[in-house]
Amino acid sequence: MTPAADAGKGTHYVPLALITLSIGVLLMVPLFVESTYLLHMMILIFINVIIGSAWNILGGYTGQYSVGHAAYFGVGAYTTMILLQYRQIAPWYGIWAGAVVALMTALIIGSICFRLRGSYFVLASIAVAEIFRVSALNLKAITNGAEGILITEIPPLTIGGTLITDWESKIPFYYTGLIFALVSITVSWLVLRSKLGYCFQAIREDQDAAHSLGINPTLYKNAALAISAIFTALAGGLYGAYVGFIDPSTVLGLEKSIQIVVVCIIGGVGTIFGPVLGAALLVPLSEALRSNVITDLLIKAGLVRAESPVGVFLKENLAHAHVLIYGILVVIVILFMPEGVLGFFRKMATRRGSRGSGVGGRRKGKDLAVTSDSEPSTHDPKPATLDSHPATPNSDPRPPTPDSRG
Amino acid sequence: MAIFEQALVSGILIGGVYALIGIGLTIIFGVMRVINFAHGDLLMVGMYLTYYIFTILHIDPFLSIAITIPLMFLFGAFLQKFFINRVLNALPQNQILLTIGLGLIMSNTVMLAFTSDYKILTTKYSSSSVTILGISISSPLVISFAITVAISLALTWFLRETNTGQAIRATAQDREAATLMGINVKRMSIIAFGLGSALAGTAGALIAPTYYIFPQVGSIFTLKAFVITVLGGLGSVSGAMIGGVLIGVAESVGGAYLGSGWKEVITFVLFLLVLLLKPSGLRGKSQT
Repeated sequence: MTPAADAGKGTHYVPLALITLSIGVLLMVPLFVESTYLLHMMILIFINVIIGSAWNILGGYTGQYSVGHAAYFGVGAYTTMILLQYRQIAPWYGIWAGAVVALMTALIIGSICFRLRGSYFVLASIAVAEIFRVSALNLKAITNGAEGILITEIPPLTIGGTLITDWESKIPFYYTGLIFALVSITVSWLVLRSKLGYCFQAIREDQDAAHSLGINPTLYKNAALAISAIFTALAGGLYGAYVGFIDPSTVLGLEKSIQIVVVCIIGGVGTIFGPVLGAALLVPLSEALRSNVITDLLIKAGLVRAESPVGVFLKENLAHAHVLIYGILVVIVILFMPEGVLGFFRKMATRRGSRGSGVGGRRKGKDLAVTSDSEPSTHDPKPATLDSHPATPNSDPRPPTPDSRG
Repeated sequence: MAIFEQALVSGILIGGVYALIGIGLTIIFGVMRVINFAHGDLLMVGMYLTYYIFTILHIDPFLSIAITIPLMFLFGAFLQKFFINRVLNALPQNQILLTIGLGLIMSNTVMLAFTSDYKILTTKYSSSSVTILGISISSPLVISFAITVAISLALTWFLRETNTGQAIRATAQDREAATLMGINVKRMSIIAFGLGSALAGTAGALIAPTYYIFPQVGSIFTLKAFVITVLGGLGSVSGAMIGGVLIGVAESVGGAYLGSGWKEVITFVLFLLVLLLKPSGLRGKSQT
């Protein structure tokens, strides 16, 4: 049972208290933590929570696996950075401009790509992101091409003459990231509990059945993409302003799109806290590889000597291979826990204590045609290709729907 | 007009290699309905194999495909047996993610082992060219085109005439019916993935003398492979051949007129148009 689900029903206050407590702790962190490295890590985790939650609305709830979300991330980052660089517009305005541009882009892309289903949609989403990347590389007058955009300073934020922050330390970024991350989780929760969310999940479970019940798939898919794109673009703008440097391959590359998906599937697709867990697992792992922490640990532990060829090799190369961890995690998760880490542990918990009250809740949810809670559909083995309608009856106990499949 | 003819001819020649990449992807898709996102990375592995066979054993890249093909076949069969076979009944998204993960592992392992430096394989004839009818063409391209034609013919014969080839095609047509006919579907899948990776590896070997070799080179070719196969129709071998040549020509001619920076955009726009207007591709079975 997710804490959020419990809180939604208003029966248990413990999860709600836990959430409040963790928010409180997160708010206090910068007051006690001196390490800029830890703050840096936390900011990256927040950014990943935002993109993970955003992708989850489209990929997890609506079942449209976009592997081209770097397009929106990049549009957000580029809009913010270009406005700052060439028009001296502060990022706290630029980031919203980025979201608006991403929204418009999403509506155009959505109206084209949502005609396709399953694998074809995945391919189209990749192609769109690649068009954006190559365009950013070639439109040198606007984007500065492969060199990217480097900003050295952000104008200080003042409200009514009083200086709020000069963005010199990491703390203002920490709080901005935290607020955006909390907002994205809240939106994700609100969407899941609303009529919108039920329509999204109906489309995920069976698009044709949903259509025959009067849900307009194109409309709702575009709605999901719009929400998703806005938050992805906000994360992109935040990333650009925080890191201070963007180039086509880091914010628009296929690797970025994959990273966005991986955050979500590692934690658990279609769950509210999956992306949070995914970000909290992935960022430290990949940062540890990137900054050679693992090599240092191995050397300190006496397993590898720093002067030995292996030690030198690891020191020089392991930092370049931080993406390797994504690959290994994806393979492990897909093969052994296709519902993500969260789903995996939940399954273990369910198996262990079948008397728990949580199980009853799950069963209840499962009896409905539309699973209300966090159950990614795994029962439809047929690839939903463009032209082939899912002709085989699904194994779930859905009441027979009027035959609209021709 | 000379520019156009020049671009056209070299486009067709490059298209031969593209066709090999596409055929590999399309066989894998046809038999297993799995879109292999690690296809470009298999090609990259083929490139590195060729590079090290050349620098260590001094075997010419065009001859070394005799070593590359069986090695890549075994590698592909291994991937199929231990990874892909487990997700054959999973959601297509999960299959795609698994192959993406495998691709990331391949490219990053290669990067760990051989660093991310660009490598160049230079043979005696790398920069030589032949002139036919007033059009000068680089000789490695001509040789590689001849090899791709030979391989394509051999493959067509294999799929049509041999028992195994027919079993593979039967599996692609209808998995369940093939099982009922006593075809070992799992074994066919392993052979198909092996064949697909062997073809990708061969394509890698053939372009190794004319292309930069680096760990991330795969993603470019993965995307190209999709464009080629979707253009020709996913699952159709002859379609992949046509698609390969078409994309080769589109890139080459487009690059000649619009500048090489934009040629990839042409490819992707073409790709989206095909997806939207005729998603079953040029030679795809039109399902109803």
